[in-house]
Amino acid sequence: MKPSEIIDHPFAGAYAKRLGVKTPWQGHLPGPKMEAWRFTPLRTLANTPFVPASASAEVDVTELPRGVPLIAGAARLVLVNGAYREDLSDADFGPGVTISTAEAFASSSRSPLALLNAAYASAGVSIDAAGPGLRPIHLVSIGAAGAEPAAFHPRLRITVAPGASLTIIESHVGLPGQTYFSNPVTEIALAENANLRRYVSVAEDSEAFHLATATISIAAGGSLEAFHLGLGGALVRQDITVRFAGRGAAARLNGAYALSGRSHHDFTTVMDHNVPDCRSSQVFKGVADGDSHGVFQGRIHVARDAQKTDARQLHKALFLSRGPEIDCKPELEIYADDVQCAHGAATGEIDHDQLFYLMSRGIDPATARSLLVEGFLTEAVDEISVPEVQALFRDAIGAWLKSRDIARARP
Amino acid sequence: MAATRETAAAVRDVEQYKYGFVTDIESDMAPLGLNEGIIRFISAKKGEPEWMLEWRLKAYRYWLTLADEEPGWAKLRFPKIDYQASYYYAAPKRKAALTSLDEVDPKLLETYKKLGIPLLEQQILAGVAVDAVFDSVSVATTYKKKLEQLGVIFAPFSEAVHKHPELVKKYLGSVVPYSDNFYATLNSAVFTDGSFVYIPKGLRCPMELSTYFRINEKNTGQFERTLIIADEGSYVSYLEGCTAPQRDENQLHAAVVELVALDDAEIKYSTVQNWYPGDADGKGGIYNFVTKRGACRGKNSKIMWTQVETGSAITWKYPSCILQGDNSVGEFYSVAITSNRQQADTGTKMIHLGRNTRSKIVSKGISAGHADNTYRGLVRIGAKADGARNYTQCDSLLIGSTCGAHTVPYVENRNPTAVTEHEATTSKISEDQLFYCRQRGMSQEEAVSLIVNGFCREVLQTLPMEFAVEAQKLVGISLEGSVG
Amino acid sequence: MALLEIKNLHASVAGKEILKGITLSVEPGAVHAIMGPNGTGKSTLSNVIAGREGYDVTQGEVLLDGKNVLAMSPDERARAGIFLAFQYPVEIPGVTTSAFLKTALNAKRRAEGKTEVDAMEFLKLVKAKTAALGMPYDMIKRALNVGFSGGEKKRAEVLQMTLLEPRLAILDETDSGLDIDALKVVSDGVNALRAPDRAFLVITHYQRLLDYIVPDHVHVLAHGRIAASGGKDLALELEAEGYAKYLDTAA
Repeated sequence: MKPSEIIDHPFAGAYAKRLGVKTPWQGHLPGPKMEAWRFTPLRTLANTPFVPASASAEVDVTELPRGVPLIAGAARLVLVNGAYREDLSDADFGPGVTISTAEAFASSSRSPLALLNAAYASAGVSIDAAGPGLRPIHLVSIGAAGAEPAAFHPRLRITVAPGASLTIIESHVGLPGQTYFSNPVTEIALAENANLRRYVSVAEDSEAFHLATATISIAAGGSLEAFHLGLGGALVRQDITVRFAGRGAAARLNGAYALSGRSHHDFTTVMDHNVPDCRSSQVFKGVADGDSHGVFQGRIHVARDAQKTDARQLHKALFLSRGPEIDCKPELEIYADDVQCAHGAATGEIDHDQLFYLMSRGIDPATARSLLVEGFLTEAVDEISVPEVQALFRDAIGAWLKSRDIARARP
Repeated sequence: MAATRETAAAVRDVEQYKYGFVTDIESDMAPLGLNEGIIRFISAKKGEPEWMLEWRLKAYRYWLTLADEEPGWAKLRFPKIDYQASYYYAAPKRKAALTSLDEVDPKLLETYKKLGIPLLEQQILAGVAVDAVFDSVSVATTYKKKLEQLGVIFAPFSEAVHKHPELVKKYLGSVVPYSDNFYATLNSAVFTDGSFVYIPKGLRCPMELSTYFRINEKNTGQFERTLIIADEGSYVSYLEGCTAPQRDENQLHAAVVELVALDDAEIKYSTVQNWYPGDADGKGGIYNFVTKRGACRGKNSKIMWTQVETGSAITWKYPSCILQGDNSVGEFYSVAITSNRQQADTGTKMIHLGRNTRSKIVSKGISAGHADNTYRGLVRIGAKADGARNYTQCDSLLIGSTCGAHTVPYVENRNPTAVTEHEATTSKISEDQLFYCRQRGMSQEEAVSLIVNGFCREVLQTLPMEFAVEAQKLVGISLEGSVG
Repeated sequence: MALLEIKNLHASVAGKEILKGITLSVEPGAVHAIMGPNGTGKSTLSNVIAGREGYDVTQGEVLLDGKNVLAMSPDERARAGIFLAFQYPVEIPGVTTSAFLKTALNAKRRAEGKTEVDAMEFLKLVKAKTAALGMPYDMIKRALNVGFSGGEKKRAEVLQMTLLEPRLAILDETDSGLDIDALKVVSDGVNALRAPDRAFLVITHYQRLLDYIVPDHVHVLAHGRIAASGGKDLALELEAEGYAKYLDTAA
């Protein structure tokens, strides 16, 4: 990295010491001149004097924050400031699932944020799943700062054994009115013919930072179905890389964001097709209100040997007001010829004909717009194959729309 | 299979770059390398006024500060260029100023004939006026008289500096400032010649204006500079064609093109670029690092870029439109074909500033052999560009499994009333289509040429008729030898 | 009092005047047919009454039950009882037909001071209406108009009409793109809605539809004006003789 591509980070000294390895960005955060971060500036983050959350004794979370859904049938796993909390979690995860805390394991991601996590994460949490009939897991990550802004670095590893099938729902939330920085790294390995359904909701507090890095590798015949929802936070980035490691693997990676106020949300995805005969599809939809900033960067990489790849991607975003910015960078990087790859991206406002149609049936403009926004996002939410989870995410979007109306009604 | 070997051998012969010959003319050259002295030398050779020299020097001094900042973001690989190992000025020696084509060195005219530009014939065949640039100096300009009568200025850049300093001063660097980027800055310091065009108010230029550029001298860089101004309500169609001889060394071509369209004016700028691409192993070839940009300054103005890029070892080129005027329109149509070891990173930028501005991008990339072909484009909608619209379609075709095709669009929207749409696909030539053509008796090459031409049709049909035919042939020729 | 009163209505689109002084009075219980060649302003008239943006009324009045319609937003007009059956019903992906219908129905009921229908009542109601129209009930689970055939779209329009029970229903080229069977189903639906306090404005190019929905009055629209008015026989006359003579005289 050139000097112009990095910005100093207050952690620099301690960071370099703990990491103990020489990396090009040691002690630094990526700056706006680094291509992958051009739309998501980290200056505010770098200028916030965070203390490690583990050092903050004032924090005591004894119950789940409001707004965290209770999911019937799912075993709950709670992290507070990145640390596993046995007292708030279920004792029994059912047969086939092992939860363990271990010293930080290696991550395949070399991103600056993953390295920062590696330097600071105290203990990682491993979820190892094997066998049939697994109970779904609801992972709740709670951010809680004390008087000072706090940073924490959850580290999670999920493995699914050959032929096994696991569902995990993640809720990333925080205590209201607090400034914290959640920097989770998730490492997922799906063995041959393993299936994972992963549904992630990031609804951080409006002062919070959340920069998540997830890497999912899928062995032959394995499949991933993921949905990511971004509903808030001062600065949120969900960075998801899927690596195809064996033939016949498939990934459906979908998501939606709904932004208001000054929220910044960034979806960055990489579909790494390294082997033949794999399929990937992505549908991302977003709406932006207030002075928010929505970013979608999606790269499809098809290596020389990855013949018969079928990779598709769609991103569509709507402006709900004058003020937001929406940036989009879909990317195809193709080195194999016998492939079908496509991406589409569109931005715009609510369709006038649709609005008129609804109003011509007596529906007032505000309700009509809500209905259209909900319908617009539904196209992505519909990709969720578990009806209960679909309903959960639909409700979350509905609640977001309601809160927006309330905010509007204020003088 | 004997037949296949035969075809392959035949194709190899055809593949030989047919413009790869050197004209043996004595050249007037600047000393090797680049320093302030060279810039003063170039300026003095051209008898430039002081203000022009000052502008060059400003650019040169700025360029020195960029020492380490060659753009690194493109998907291109090439060894570090030694800017001191090039000659920055080469002009064919001649006795006196030329007043007619008869005085042009017959060898030069012979060269043009081999290039397929019937310069003399063109005086008979109405409709095309040619300003031929041979290395750095414009040697012949036809149809000058007729254009002059209409008030059109179509002259070598160096002549315009003398005859129309007020226009040059007003518009030079107004679209591509000398500080724009590494290569444009270099060009601003050392540019030797190019074309200058001014279309007066309300005139629809009755003929296509055309410039053929040609690099001849060994180790010369070519830094031409083109400036086209379409005054209110005028229209002009401009075509540029490029070829270069075969050399083992890489040669640098860093041109700058600036277009200015005032109220209700329209400029159509078409390029057929067929610089020497290097041999099958990637030896030699032109480094084509070009900055092209148009400003739709006036309301209802329109700029349309069409490019057919088949040559050069490396192409780095983003013909762009700045849509300032309300209701202005920018269009970009591109065919980029890379084979062997060629690399292309090309696309456009559409910057929407005015209200109801519209842009359309159609890009067709074809990659074969060991080539890499990247579309890189930016669509930016400013906060005040109410009602702006963009539509982008990028399609890539891969021929063989050792090449790469990449699509890197950036869409940045800050206006809720604007609509942007982007679609891209990557695939290979359909086996069914190929088989269908073969079954009807076509050879593999013919079939591929036919299908690829169909794939590029939307772009090729935007070219002026006489060049569309040439471009279609070029599409076929460029891919010969890289097919099955 | 007339249900709908149009007085000297002038309207333009993008600065071009399309309607050049239309005067029309529609009594409750009546069916008026507006006929005319393409491009004479038939659809403009329906869009102006429904309040679509992009249509500028430069002169004249439109009154519904004596109230100024032109001052109302499109949804207010709808709640006041104007229903436009679109020539091209718009597709809205992601919004299910049932969610849409329920929202529209309750908006109207609220405006009338009635209680909103709950999910159970709503489903019962829709089941009955779809059955009456010979439509598969499952259709309401699909996204609004998305992937509907031409006939299905028109049937969905009639379904909405029967649910919303408007005072004035405007049928804009409802017959276009329909085969004879679909035409019959749609017409039966419309005829079932005929009532003493409800009026219809049937806009059509062809006489065919009027065999099924028999009008009380027929008007010929040419060059932005009503060129002739008469009884239902006028439609038959037009069918036989074409529009040529109105185009000549009105020009």
